[in-house]
Amino acid sequence: MIDTAIASLTSGGAYALLGVGLVLTYRMTGVLNFAHAVVGAFGTYTAIVAFEAGVGYGVAMILGVAVAALLSGGIGVVMARWFAEEATIVRSTVTIAMFLGVLVVGFRLFGDTPRVVPALLPGVRLEVGTVTLTGSTLLSVGGVIVLAGAVAWFLAKTRTGIVLRAVSERPITARLLGVPLRTLVVAVWAVSGAVAGAAVTIIAPTRTNDYASLAILILPALAAALLGGFQRVGATIVAGFGIALVELMGARIPAVARYRTVVPFLVILAALLWMQRKEVWDEAR
Amino acid sequence: MLVTVMAIVVAACTGGSVEDDGQTTTTVATTQATVTTTAAPATTAADLEPIKLGSVNSLTGQIVFPEASAAAKAVFDRVNREGGIDGRPIEYLIEDDAADPAGAAQAARRLVEDEGVVAMVGSASLLECAVNGAYYAEQGVYSIQGTGVDPLCFASSNISPVNTGPYLGYTVSLYFASEVLAKENVCALIFDIPDFRPAMDAAIQQWRDLTGKDLAFSNFTLQFTDDVTPFVLQARDAGCEVVVSNGLDVHYIGFMQALQAQGIDDMAWVGLTSGYTAEVAETLGSMGAGSGILHVNSEFEPFTLDSPVLEDWRNLMTEAGVPLTSFAEGGYLAATIMVDVLEGIDGPITRESVSEALLALEGYEHPMIGSPYSFGDAPAHNPNRASKFLRLSGGTWELATDDWVVLPTG
Repeated sequence: MIDTAIASLTSGGAYALLGVGLVLTYRMTGVLNFAHAVVGAFGTYTAIVAFEAGVGYGVAMILGVAVAALLSGGIGVVMARWFAEEATIVRSTVTIAMFLGVLVVGFRLFGDTPRVVPALLPGVRLEVGTVTLTGSTLLSVGGVIVLAGAVAWFLAKTRTGIVLRAVSERPITARLLGVPLRTLVVAVWAVSGAVAGAAVTIIAPTRTNDYASLAILILPALAAALLGGFQRVGATIVAGFGIALVELMGARIPAVARYRTVVPFLVILAALLWMQRKEVWDEAR
Repeated sequence: MLVTVMAIVVAACTGGSVEDDGQTTTTVATTQATVTTTAAPATTAADLEPIKLGSVNSLTGQIVFPEASAAAKAVFDRVNREGGIDGRPIEYLIEDDAADPAGAAQAARRLVEDEGVVAMVGSASLLECAVNGAYYAEQGVYSIQGTGVDPLCFASSNISPVNTGPYLGYTVSLYFASEVLAKENVCALIFDIPDFRPAMDAAIQQWRDLTGKDLAFSNFTLQFTDDVTPFVLQARDAGCEVVVSNGLDVHYIGFMQALQAQGIDDMAWVGLTSGYTAEVAETLGSMGAGSGILHVNSEFEPFTLDSPVLEDWRNLMTEAGVPLTSFAEGGYLAATIMVDVLEGIDGPITRESVSEALLALEGYEHPMIGSPYSFGDAPAHNPNRASKFLRLSGGTWELATDDWVVLPTG
């Protein structure tokens, strides 16, 4: 039982990382980024293709993260250039178009056959009692801790972080105050793309992957971010680990095992109902 | 919405490649015509009306099987180079169903009604049998399937695959685990493909009936993109000495990676023919995983070994540029059987005479298979009941059984 919980840490960490990336872009640029995971998957697949072509594993992984950052930065340029003053809902819808675009281009480039991704840090194993922590698990959990700390520190303590929050809440005011809006927004997109690339690369070796199923990692990530209200990094992280745990525990119960992949949808549904619980019908409508 | 958009995109892509194929076919036909003219002085195969054979294959889509029909084509091309069947050339028509039921139905109707093929041979499709089995029965067309995949390939009066398939293959693998490896606690981890479930249940039941044993643990709910670690841990906790699983080639790599990551080295693993590829051995070899643990079944003479039985197959495939895989063995074998059947027919070769010959075909021995191929008039066919098993050793496959493991009948 504990083994299963430990085994869920890798997925949980990746869900949390992706979820935090969503919260990050939402808080800083006011966009619900549906293209978040597909950009990461694109980066990961670039890394796999480079690795298969003979590039060293470490270099290939860094290349993949860089490609994800560039791609996401490119989306950021589009956002800052043409959609900076649109409403959140419009900008979020644009990311759905981006999601489909990157998905389809990736399909053409990478095909849809599952690929094998060698384990990250294959020799690294940490034995805790009867439980084995693999390199992927350590990277995943470590990555979450580092990222969460960095985000919290950046948003609360740095001038740029505070400026970004201003940009998110009052873009026009911020620009009138002389904030270099476009550069900052593009930088946030690029960083979030790099985080997505890293998250997907960490989770990739632990499962059999095709490009589409990696892109669909957006679902557990969205569920985690939603539970964090798209604001709270800590709650998002807890939710990410929780979703992965429920998914894997479900595999142990024969009656629900076949349906465990719908867990993120149930979580999203339950969270939305919970958030609406105090709405009166007339107001909610 | 996503699904719709993707479907449109995929449909657009498929449309494009079909056009390309059309152009290629035209070019080839022209070339053949030229060759015929040059060779005209002698009485050549091309002077007489060709014998049309067809095949329906999943060539584009998520899971593709291109090798079987390519291997069959190589066999027929050679027959044509050597003068055809009593002077008549073989025209082998390869259709793509794109793993789509409508595509498979249309392909079969094109071949059977428009082209008037005398029989089907070397088909390898994800769903062709399920879609076309009843149609073939209705039309009196028989198919020597190159790679039977869906359950109805093994449950139709008009289809007899040369391969064992994922169901009887699973029974043989269980039998190997419990009787040859002689392990006590035999467990099953099975990927959940809803349409295949009853056939998998029947396959396991057949093993129970044969051996009087039962599974120590089973989980039928694996998804293709799961992290397999929790399932591997479940099997370990259940005290499994050997796990028999289905899956695609990449899944066996996933299982071995998980075993390695968890430091489990005392649990044997038996996989189906889908895991028997050179890439699986190489990849696991480079990771240092699965050595001595992973076993796979080979429904034909194992192609990675330097077996003299496969000399002709290997030369022909290499010459034709067909990858050396189990699927290519299946296509070659199906085509070879068909050539023998055609050559054995006295009188005109028509759909009726070919069907009659297939219905009379029993006990066809070939060194590439461990139990004789047959067609006959039974309501269902699954003649290949034998496998050789291979064990991963470092980065290569070695024989785990010198002789065929033949599933007892009854």
